[in-house]
Amino acid sequence: MNDIRSGDAMLSDWREAAGRFERAVRGAVVGQDRAIRLLTIALFARGHVLLEGDVGVGKTTLLRAVARALGGAYERIEGTVDMMPSDLIYHTYLADDGRPRVEPGPVLRQSEDLSIFFFNEINRARPQVHSLLLRLMAERSLTAFNREYRFPNLQVFADRNRVEREETFELPAAARDRFLMEIGLEAPRDAEARRALVFDPRFHDTDALIAGIDGGVLDHAAMAGIGAAIQHGIQASPAIEAYVVGLWEALVRPHEAGIRLPGIDMSALIQGGASPRGVAFLVRAARVRAWLEGRDWLVPEDIRAIFPEVMAHRVFLEPIYEMRRSTIVPELCRAVFDTVPAP
Amino acid sequence: MRRLAPLLFLLCSSLTAQSQVRTVEVRTPRPFGYFLGDLVRAQVDIVVEPGFALQAASLPQPGAITYWLDLRTVAVTQASEGGGSRVRLDLTYQNFYAALDARALEIPGFTVTFVSDTDKGATTAKAQVPPWSFNISPLREVQPPAREDPRTYLRPDGRVASLDTQPLVVGSAGFMAMALLAFAGLAWDRTWWPFAKRGGRAFAACLRRLRALAGRGEDEAAYETALLALHRALDETDGRRVLADDLPAFLTRNPSYARERAGLAAFLDASRHSFFGPGPAGAMRRLPLADIVALTRKLTAIERES
Repeated sequence: MNDIRSGDAMLSDWREAAGRFERAVRGAVVGQDRAIRLLTIALFARGHVLLEGDVGVGKTTLLRAVARALGGAYERIEGTVDMMPSDLIYHTYLADDGRPRVEPGPVLRQSEDLSIFFFNEINRARPQVHSLLLRLMAERSLTAFNREYRFPNLQVFADRNRVEREETFELPAAARDRFLMEIGLEAPRDAEARRALVFDPRFHDTDALIAGIDGGVLDHAAMAGIGAAIQHGIQASPAIEAYVVGLWEALVRPHEAGIRLPGIDMSALIQGGASPRGVAFLVRAARVRAWLEGRDWLVPEDIRAIFPEVMAHRVFLEPIYEMRRSTIVPELCRAVFDTVPAP
Repeated sequence: MRRLAPLLFLLCSSLTAQSQVRTVEVRTPRPFGYFLGDLVRAQVDIVVEPGFALQAASLPQPGAITYWLDLRTVAVTQASEGGGSRVRLDLTYQNFYAALDARALEIPGFTVTFVSDTDKGATTAKAQVPPWSFNISPLREVQPPAREDPRTYLRPDGRVASLDTQPLVVGSAGFMAMALLAFAGLAWDRTWWPFAKRGGRAFAACLRRLRALAGRGEDEAAYETALLALHRALDETDGRRVLADDLPAFLTRNPSYARERAGLAAFLDASRHSFFGPGPAGAMRRLPLADIVALTRKLTAIERES
């Protein structure tokens, strides 16, 4: 299965580094191997990630651990109801000498070194803030103080609470589409991991836990270059291209693909979504997964491994089904993979 | 003398013709007692010189002869007899004459031609079958006495013995049971409704397709078609798409195939290389078409057992 060309020694070295990175994060966050693998894929695919889950399952800890292991400048902000877009960009206060000052806000503070911008509880912020994020995420640039700032290494990590609906704002579709993945996080099912989380004092002091992670595993400045090298180095055969297009077609028009789910009118289920950008993201992430598995060509399993996280949040259901989204969309994804032939 | 010569020739030729047909004899069972619609049979025996054969075209044709008489059949038998050749015609006429009184009717005669082919030329001889007659009687009185109820003129219907339907009922029930049994067998083979749970013979169908492919030689297109055929059979067996990484889950769901684990793994690996990786050429070296056919044959055997 190891068919990587010897000329691509850089890619193999980076694959080992990615393995070390995963092990480092796994040391701090137990029982979340799948989420860690997906975050690793997102890092090398240079995509933004939205983490979703219940209270206290370790969303913030996981993102902090990833940011720490990746290294580079890191900023973090908490979403609140009264937050305004300008709060991200600048900060005004009265200095000791009694004169007003304007300082760069969290986004601009680290200037163009910023590699991870961590938006905690993103659904508590207002839509104005979300729309500021649109450009920051899509173009990695921002206009402020009469000049344009560029963030070549920026990746936005956000998390949101799935349960709470009071004083929250649903992310607009445009903002959700710019996230590479939406990863659902659940408390670990494994009894051993649960015991450790509850009784091991190591996991109670989050700051010490994060500080224990080796910060120099990956060279964050080289991530953009290696990400591009992966995208060019992993081949996609005509068969896999046809497969992805088939999946896309079946996801958008499940009725015509012959997919039937009990109790659902398939012809009136999907309102839209599954954008070309989303499918391009899908292939980006799948290429990274193939690279992590040590192949230089894509297989359907690569697509399947990341499909729900990359595609599920891009599908928009008719309003009547939107309330049951959390059960319908995973079912639909599973049915799509059970229906579309590969090869 | 000169005037006599043609007369003499005529006499001689008529004598020779007479002598070539020795006898013509018409035999009928009885010349009386016929009614409307009865069949009238006649047997005509003609004895001719040896070497003469009947000319079939000269026989009377079956069909209407007059408005009251049809010729139904003509049968010819030929045998040699006493230095001559005897031709027997069995004629069956049908009489349609509705007689009002007893009277004689005449069946017209006809001529039959015989031919003798020799190397000096053909000689023909005609046998004249004479007309013969038979007596016909009316079916009922011409003027019956008046009756009050005209229905009494009609004779009652003849009584018909009632048939025993038991053997027919038993026979049809037997055939019905056989048909149902055959249909059940067909439904089992095709996995129609009551046997739907049994699952189709996916691998058997795949094996048939592979055998057809095997004759096409070892080209890459045929190889990929073979891979696809086996993929579809696996998908059908599992009821979902089976990817290479799904093999353990597939064997958990279908444990009877576990003894072909190695073969299936080799197949999925070859398929992956062929479709998504370096291409079919390398995959054909890893797993030739013959091995795929052999694997499918083993899978078909397992499928038949389950």
